[in-house]
Amino acid sequence: MTSLKRSHATITPTTTLSSKTYLRTLKSGKVQKIVRELYLRQDIPCSSQLCTVCLEQQASGYHQKAAPFVLSATPAATKQFPQGHYLIPDTNAFLNGMDLFEAEGAFTDVIVLQTVLEEVKNRSLPLYHRLIALTKNDGKRFYVFFNDFRLETYVQREAGETINDRNDRAIRKATAWYNEHLQQAASARKSVRCPAVVMISDDRDNIRKGKAENVTAFPLRDYVSQLPEADKLLDMIPERSSTRDGKAELFYPEYMSMSAMLTGVKAGTLHQGIFNVSTYNYLEGSVHVPAFDRQLIIQGRENSNRAVSGDVVVVEVLPKDQWKAPSSKVIEEDEVNKNENADNEDESEGIVTEQERRALQEEVKKTHASGLENQPRPTARVVGVIKRNWRQYVGHIDRDSVRGGSKNGQAQQTVFLIPMDKRVPKIRVRTRQAADLLGKRVLVAVDSWGRDSRYPVGHFVRSLGELETKGAETEALLLEWDVQYRPFPKTVLDCLPAEGHDWKVPASKEDPGWRGRRDLRDLIICSIDPPGCVDIDDALHAKKLPNGNFEVGVHIADVSNFVRPNNAMDKEASLRGTTVYLVDKRIDMLPMLLGTDLCSLKPYVERFAFSVIWELDQDANIVSADYTKSVIRSREAFSYQAAQLRIDDDSQQDELTQGMRRLMMLSKKLRGKRMAAGALNLASPEVRVEAESETSDPIDVKTKELLDTNQLVEEFMLLANISVASKINDAFPQTALLRRHAAPPKTNFEELSNQLKVKKGMELRTDSSKALADSLDTCAEPANPFFNTLVRILATRCMMSAEYFCAGTLSYPEFRHYGLASEIYTHFTSPIRRYADLEVHRQLAAAIDYEPLDASLQSRSKLEGVCRNINFRHRNAQQAGRASVEFYVGQALKGRVLEEDGFVMRIFSNGFVVFVPRFGIEGLIRLKDLAGSERDEVDGVFDQAEYKLEFDAVGKGKRTVELFQKVRVKIEDELEGSTGKRKIKLGLV
Amino acid sequence: MPLDTSTYILAHLRLDGRRWNELRRLQAQMSTQAAADGSSYFEMGNTKIICTVAGPQEQKSGGGGRSQQDKAKIEVEVNFAGFSGMDRKKRARSDKRTSEMQHTIASAFESTLLTHLFPHSTITLNLHILSQDGSLLAACLNAATLALVDAGIPMTDYISATTVATTASYADKEEEADPLLDLNGLEEQELPFLTIASSGGEDRVCSLVLETKVHMARLEPMISVGLDGCSQIRGILDGVIRAHGRKVLEGKVG
Repeated sequence: MTSLKRSHATITPTTTLSSKTYLRTLKSGKVQKIVRELYLRQDIPCSSQLCTVCLEQQASGYHQKAAPFVLSATPAATKQFPQGHYLIPDTNAFLNGMDLFEAEGAFTDVIVLQTVLEEVKNRSLPLYHRLIALTKNDGKRFYVFFNDFRLETYVQREAGETINDRNDRAIRKATAWYNEHLQQAASARKSVRCPAVVMISDDRDNIRKGKAENVTAFPLRDYVSQLPEADKLLDMIPERSSTRDGKAELFYPEYMSMSAMLTGVKAGTLHQGIFNVSTYNYLEGSVHVPAFDRQLIIQGRENSNRAVSGDVVVVEVLPKDQWKAPSSKVIEEDEVNKNENADNEDESEGIVTEQERRALQEEVKKTHASGLENQPRPTARVVGVIKRNWRQYVGHIDRDSVRGGSKNGQAQQTVFLIPMDKRVPKIRVRTRQAADLLGKRVLVAVDSWGRDSRYPVGHFVRSLGELETKGAETEALLLEWDVQYRPFPKTVLDCLPAEGHDWKVPASKEDPGWRGRRDLRDLIICSIDPPGCVDIDDALHAKKLPNGNFEVGVHIADVSNFVRPNNAMDKEASLRGTTVYLVDKRIDMLPMLLGTDLCSLKPYVERFAFSVIWELDQDANIVSADYTKSVIRSREAFSYQAAQLRIDDDSQQDELTQGMRRLMMLSKKLRGKRMAAGALNLASPEVRVEAESETSDPIDVKTKELLDTNQLVEEFMLLANISVASKINDAFPQTALLRRHAAPPKTNFEELSNQLKVKKGMELRTDSSKALADSLDTCAEPANPFFNTLVRILATRCMMSAEYFCAGTLSYPEFRHYGLASEIYTHFTSPIRRYADLEVHRQLAAAIDYEPLDASLQSRSKLEGVCRNINFRHRNAQQAGRASVEFYVGQALKGRVLEEDGFVMRIFSNGFVVFVPRFGIEGLIRLKDLAGSERDEVDGVFDQAEYKLEFDAVGKGKRTVELFQKVRVKIEDELEGSTGKRKIKLGLV
Repeated sequence: MPLDTSTYILAHLRLDGRRWNELRRLQAQMSTQAAADGSSYFEMGNTKIICTVAGPQEQKSGGGGRSQQDKAKIEVEVNFAGFSGMDRKKRARSDKRTSEMQHTIASAFESTLLTHLFPHSTITLNLHILSQDGSLLAACLNAATLALVDAGIPMTDYISATTVATTASYADKEEEADPLLDLNGLEEQELPFLTIASSGGEDRVCSLVLETKVHMARLEPMISVGLDGCSQIRGILDGVIRAHGRKVLEGKVG
């Protein structure tokens, strides 16, 4: 027999071998034992610019490029470390204080140990990504030191040692090694200044052991308090939950364990879904779960059990006798709990305050009384949270929660932050700068929500500026909707053509830029856009062919020529997803140079374009379609209005105008065909803010008007999108990037169709988009032309939202675009402002064999990621745009009192919502204000079946308000005393 | 989860602490199974394989005899031990991937073994995989080379094989992607890679398997690094064979 014994000899002189074994529990409950090799080495540099030894022995990658050394030779000094210092934070320091590490100006020269990086990744992926981003930020000088691969700093886990203890030991060992190593380096250079190496840890035991081993160590808080801007920085450290006094009572039931929840969901006894809070009633939330047609209602704080709007939760359905109808009442948090004290929880009675209880009590009474009319719906309670959807929230400090005596003091106190998003509860924040932060927009992060706290606990991140100033409010809404608004980094700008604004279409056709391009410069092309548009995506032409048909071309800016896949600019654009239009500002997806100059199809100059050219017959049927990269020269850039005038002016008979008339004629035929197929004509309350040109202060609000030329452009864009969609779907059936609009489930329309039936005797048929389009047309009142628009607005709200998707993920019938009544659809026509279009351009270019398709566009999983992101960005951009209009409308109305017509959109038992078309605003009118009463709540006689509310108005006797009724309202703005915030207020005249 | 391959760019260090061009620790022994005609035991990191060779022996009568009478037939059988992977998984006998591996190994050796010397006979290779941690096919080829030498079957040259991957996170700078030599199991799961086998010095590639998508521009550096790895392994195999040969000559091993 030969034995298989082997020697543990080293393989090369610089490496030794160790191995690491650990157990891993899978989601399925299986346990895996994992054995990994570990090659320990001595050529991992310390990356300090002080050190020459490491620089010499540094190994490089395949491309012979060695990483530059990161840590400064003269790091920042503090009182305690006049010679400068490097930081080695432990895992908890990063988990708790990531905002601190990201703060400008502080925390430079930080060594991130591999041990720590791994632990951070285990605990929180988002934080891990933020940390990685920090290591790539040149100014911050963060260096990742692979201590577990370096022979001197490697620590073997000892028998009986917990993994945490082992990791702490590894951190101490690395700190000690750095200390020693730097001293050697400094003495080799004969330098006097040898930076100290400071370990940051909140673990007392770790610090104590560190002291024993001669390692300088501080808790995060102590370290920060030595820094120059300590006050501001200290606020950014989250509150440790353990620091609250121990006896605190527990308000909320405990969450179930993750495994119990997952088993429950699998077995069907529990349900998983996304928690949504009603905008009108902060105590009522809903969860949509697949097992129920209708949403489950979650009423009250106890049942919602610390879930915040957007969290993925697991709920348990309550017994049938607790089922309720959805609330018919408006409850706003700042009204009910106005006088709570942020500091002490003990005085209050528990999780539900007396006022809240009263408000809910009446709810229950009502549902029992109303009987069959209003069927009770299933209710549920939250038993656990699968995934928190906490982000950073913008809000303002509640003035009443700031302690009177210390309004100008620096003492630390706890205050409430009232988030801009009404669905998010108040956040308890500890700060020393309460006085400074009053009346400011403040960004906070939520840290935790323990069972012993009625409100979530968060920490201050930064202040955006005074409330109501344009800068602060704009930044606030950009942050609130997660819009990337920072200037483009240098790496992105480096991807721009070197010629800058002087870039021109190459004169010689031999130039590689001309390869595969058709010369369309002699076509009479023009563009039609909103007034003042600088990023011109599209241009059109129409020509009569000898056979009586028309040649129509849609020419789209060739952005994919400038933005190559996977470079820094492409990455940034894919992250931004879309250009965001605010009232006074545009946050571009691509740098200005491209968006408004090189790509923009400006008139009189030659530009690269991607053209779709059809032959259409007299009835606008497509005879053939052709796709090509091209070079065009637009003859003119019209605004919608100017184009309309030119078309209508009979004295103009030049080729350009004729072309536009042909386009107009064809577009009307296209539109007719589309409508016949069942395309929906929907409405949303759109207004435009007129601003003074110099100061951009808003002066007036106008509703947007629609001209025939708007529809002209729209029709051809739709046609191009549809043609391109089927082309790329044929070429790439697995990975084509398309857009769909799902048919809304029937239940979505139930409420509206019932309202129309009861109030107006009208019928809304929803079996198909065609039926809906037709029945929407019949919902009109000759006496009240706006009524039809109102119904369309309400119907739009019942729809699903359209979304991007990857062709391979769904079957063909599901591609349908419900609103446009088209089998297939994509976005192709606005590559300057939408990333989806850019990707579609690349796919189309590959489909016509212009260039090979990039790998990223061939992988379905990658495209699905792109779709997820652009769907999210698209939604947010819309919301941000709307919020911006809302803010400016508010500013335009500042200090004015107006009377306008409004329509009742929704009725509650203690108030009703009025929509004012003139300003596109929706506002709540509370009975309490109408009654002029000081009491908390006023209830009218509310007939839920008839959508009618009767009440006493002060000085005017009895009044009745019904759904869809036209009312005259007074609009004024009001300064809220407690918050210092301006609000638009509506009153009934 | 511990770190993944995306951290490579931070310090040009791989998941197990190696640099891009470093092989794992290789261990090999020959004549480990006295009863077999030839045998070897081969380790590449935590990938461990026993290989036994039977033959050349007379072909079983009947069925298979018709096809190639003029030279020996190479049969390969790969067995996975139940404990070799992380999960105790039973592989079906007719597993597609296994039979593909067997075919690849057989056809690789058809190019180096002098099979025409043994007409009407069969050479059977039995590969027992005791532990899997990446580069499985490469390890099988290396182990088979040793066992075939031990069995004394004439060949033109050794076959040595290894794997090469390309780093994933360089997508923005195509030309800066690093090729990585000799992958462990985790890297194999995360990165696009190929298995390359060569014989007769650097220039003869006798097997090249690529199952993932790789950008064209990365392929050339991957292959050249792979060939370099193969010649390193060839050196190691040669050392093992010569040491074993010396022992045999000295009469220490039966």
